[in-house]
Amino acid sequence: MKKTIAYLSLLFILGVLLYVANPNYGLKFGPGGDDWKNLRYTDDYYITHGVQEVGGTNIVTDIVFDYRGYDTIGEATVLFTAIAGAVALLRPWRRDEE
Amino acid sequence: MNGEAILPYLIIIPLFGAFSMPIVSLIGRKAREAWAVIISGATLAVASALFYSVWEDKGIIVYTLGAKSPLGQGVSFPIRIVWEVDLLGAIMVLMVALVSFLAVVYSLGYMKHDTGLDKYYTLILILELGMLGIAITGDLFNFYVFLEIMSIASYALVAFRNDTWEGIEAGIKYMFVGSIASSLVLLGIALLYGQYGTLTMGYMAIKIIENPTVTAKVALALFIAGLLFKSGASPVHMWLADAHPAAPSSISAMLSGLVIKVGGVYALARILLSIYGASVSVKTVGWVIIIFACLTLIIGNAMAVVQTDMKRLLAYSSVGQIGYILLGLGIGLAAYGSHTGEVALAGAIYHTFNHALMKALLFLIAGVVIHELGTRDLNELSGLAKTMPKTTFAFLIGAAAIVGMPPLNGFASKWLIYESSAIFNPILGAIAIIGTAFCTAAYVRVLYTFFGRPSERVMKARDPEASMLWPIIILAVAIVIMGLFPWQISEKIMLPAVKALEDQLAYISAVLGGA
Repeated sequence: MKKTIAYLSLLFILGVLLYVANPNYGLKFGPGGDDWKNLRYTDDYYITHGVQEVGGTNIVTDIVFDYRGYDTIGEATVLFTAIAGAVALLRPWRRDEE
Repeated sequence: MNGEAILPYLIIIPLFGAFSMPIVSLIGRKAREAWAVIISGATLAVASALFYSVWEDKGIIVYTLGAKSPLGQGVSFPIRIVWEVDLLGAIMVLMVALVSFLAVVYSLGYMKHDTGLDKYYTLILILELGMLGIAITGDLFNFYVFLEIMSIASYALVAFRNDTWEGIEAGIKYMFVGSIASSLVLLGIALLYGQYGTLTMGYMAIKIIENPTVTAKVALALFIAGLLFKSGASPVHMWLADAHPAAPSSISAMLSGLVIKVGGVYALARILLSIYGASVSVKTVGWVIIIFACLTLIIGNAMAVVQTDMKRLLAYSSVGQIGYILLGLGIGLAAYGSHTGEVALAGAIYHTFNHALMKALLFLIAGVVIHELGTRDLNELSGLAKTMPKTTFAFLIGAAAIVGMPPLNGFASKWLIYESSAIFNPILGAIAIIGTAFCTAAYVRVLYTFFGRPSERVMKARDPEASMLWPIIILAVAIVIMGLFPWQISEKIMLPAVKALEDQLAYISAVLGGA
């Protein structure tokens, strides 16, 4: 019973996502021309101004380390947390040490 | 005081503290503990200064990372990450820093028999950092990054006692559920970015108002689903009832008091009101939240009554109290713009803060009891009032506050929620009262046990040492003092916070420089 409901709702979610992924109703794939200026204006800005504002010729690193550097600190923290967590959980048990 | 100048230190200090903890730990145990207390204390000082500055100015602090203005040269859209702190964000910041500081101090005594403490203090500072990041951010993807920081730290901390069976089991459950919830949020952000091409919350709001699409609605549904998971609403509260009892008590206090609120309810309120406020039918969304709130209220509180495990009882009670907060939020949305809606939202925000204090207090006390007696079974704890009078008295204050007894802080916040729900729809008022009846039954049962005839096991128990007792005393005193000025607090802090939250235009124009 529970499983049937779960699969049905998964099917529903899949249907909704497929609807959204249809360019006629929702997201456009590979926008070009006017769509590029309308949908990807931020990317257009990064590409146009990135070199002179940041100084790197690689736009991806310009974005990841300058425009959105704070997110990169966050990602580094996620990795640090994951390592700290994994090491903490894999430490020997208390009674084994005694 | 200049809020913009101190805002970065809210992130810098805990980040520096967490990353330097492995090095400081090399010096020794005392240095590590002192470092954790200093770092979280300094964060609390910054948070209080920030709260005061935001409250005094009644404005919104906007801080752009890496430039003077979030907007690019010659264009009118933001290209950088912004922090945006209004009064609601400042309240969350203060709440997180306060409870985290007390939890760190409490850990000094509580965790001293455990191993791996250098990782423990690193993780607890990162947990605090993640929640502070969520509370101040004004960028959608950045919100996701900090949601992940908070979640991963809490997975590790729930399972921290890796030699206990239930710790690992609860950790695995929490991790699977939590990462599915996070990925729903990420999927929502990806859809919104694909449709609107920006990640800044304020600018996203404009874009959605200009061009409301199906994609925006699907993303909203994904956000609501993911964040209800994180806040432990029914019917997806099952991870909470396992995770909160299994974690060390200082962590349960942070999980129950902070994580489910900042990562769940606060984020929900921010996304629903600041991004979607003007572009979807808030009435419909409000009713969706109300339905989940009513379920959560009844199921959480009713399940609390039948528990025999003290921490499990508190965990279910947290689920029940999240129900009240969601009810306030739901009514605030469904009656958007009216006086009732404002009162309901004020009640929700007020109850968020109050519940953080009360539930932190109750979980810390549960920790003391476990520490002294080695059992969480309520049937074995009878007569605790004889041998642990201070602890029992603090529990009495916490339990009375959570039920909503008049001289304590829980009364005012629950009253606001009852009042608004009764005006909005009497049936919801009745459901809220039924929830409280269950909640009262659960806590009276615990207190009845505590004041019963002392059992064999309880006779050798004693009140805890200073580092565990002081956080409890501070929380109890805070509850009593906040209970003495309920209407002043609600008038001076909570209603302005609601005004700031409801004023979507101010939130948007703060980022775009009044444009």
